[in-house]
Amino acid sequence: MSEQADLAGLLASVATGDRNALKSVYARQSTRLFGIAMAILRDRAAASDVLQDAFLKVWQRAGQFDPSRGPAAAWLGQIVRNTALDAARARGREVLTDDPTLGDGAFEPSVLDDLAEAEDGARLRDCLARLDPKPREGILLAFVHGLSHPEVAERLATPLGTVKSWIRRGLLSLRKCLS
Amino acid sequence: MSGTAEDRDLLAAEYVLGTLDARASAAVEARLATDPALAEAVAAWTNRLAPLTRLAAPEAPPPDLWDRIEARLPGATPAARPALRRSWFWQGWAIGASLAAAVFAGLAFIPRAEKPAYMTVLVSDRAAPAWIAQADRTGGITLAAVRPAFGEPQSTTPDGRVMQLWGLRPGETAPTSLALLPRTPGRISIPAPALRPVNNMLIEISLEPEGGSPTGRPTGPILFYGRLIEAPPN
Repeated sequence: MSEQADLAGLLASVATGDRNALKSVYARQSTRLFGIAMAILRDRAAASDVLQDAFLKVWQRAGQFDPSRGPAAAWLGQIVRNTALDAARARGREVLTDDPTLGDGAFEPSVLDDLAEAEDGARLRDCLARLDPKPREGILLAFVHGLSHPEVAERLATPLGTVKSWIRRGLLSLRKCLS
Repeated sequence: MSGTAEDRDLLAAEYVLGTLDARASAAVEARLATDPALAEAVAAWTNRLAPLTRLAAPEAPPPDLWDRIEARLPGATPAARPALRRSWFWQGWAIGASLAAAVFAGLAFIPRAEKPAYMTVLVSDRAAPAWIAQADRTGGITLAAVRPAFGEPQSTTPDGRVMQLWGLRPGETAPTSLALLPRTPGRISIPAPALRPVNNMLIEISLEPEGGSPTGRPTGPILFYGRLIEAPPN
């Protein structure tokens, strides 16, 4: 059974109130999901709170997961991202740092090679590669590190309105390229 | 907000990307249950962008986090305090504890200035015992590597990284840095004045950049952890 089918099956059990199934989801996904929250919040205590809240949402909403709409890992990732983004919004998102050891530096093109490990990632990488560097960087900073429009604008030293339209046009290009 | 499909799709895209402000984001969230077309668009964008989550470096959460989650699930009995719940953590700890008991008899072989007041077995995230840790009341700590015969081989520290020792006393929410561990193989004995050992204190070792965590909190993966227990009198 594939990892995705496995996870989807576990979520179906979680929906029936099976705690062990939730624990199995946690065992398989918590390291990946904690990394996603840490990339946005940069704070283990805050990321721990987020992962806690996110797993309670998974417990409550597992019945809403529809495997025909997409992979379980993507659904879980989005719950964690939304919870982390809400936490970042609540504290004003002031989590930028210039410390290169925290990985907040510019995304080098080689970083995108990490995407290519899976087929869907390779397609997305190729489509991202077609965007101009700054719009691409803006989309990555927003998605991976949870930066707001004004923060992306500051980071890219570009007016806010320009950044907003770059990101919108970038997203539309990605959709077209991926279709 | 105009209701065209294109607007709806861009709204879904920015919702998934995370660039909406708190109010707009909450509004989208509230509409999802009643607006199937928007929910469809959000699901499609979630799937499109999901591979980007691979750009976030995986990192192990604190070892007690599952217990905290389980304690908040509906129906959790108040008596079942998180720290007392049986879980993979405590199962791992139990393996470590029985090993510790076995090793206790052999402690005389390790020369030391003072009888250890507290001890634990630090286990890896796969519950394999890796270090016997002993702490005395004045803050000295000794780590003795468990030989590979007991479990997985002891990990080596990659170049440019350092193992950092942390302590989290019961009730505290953030760990305190205790020491950077030297690269000495086998057995490490170091002063850790910040230790102030107490029963049930969580000891963790994380992998950090050279010079230690730049933030004062663990930034790298937690490699090993265990809880101090008071050594039996003899």
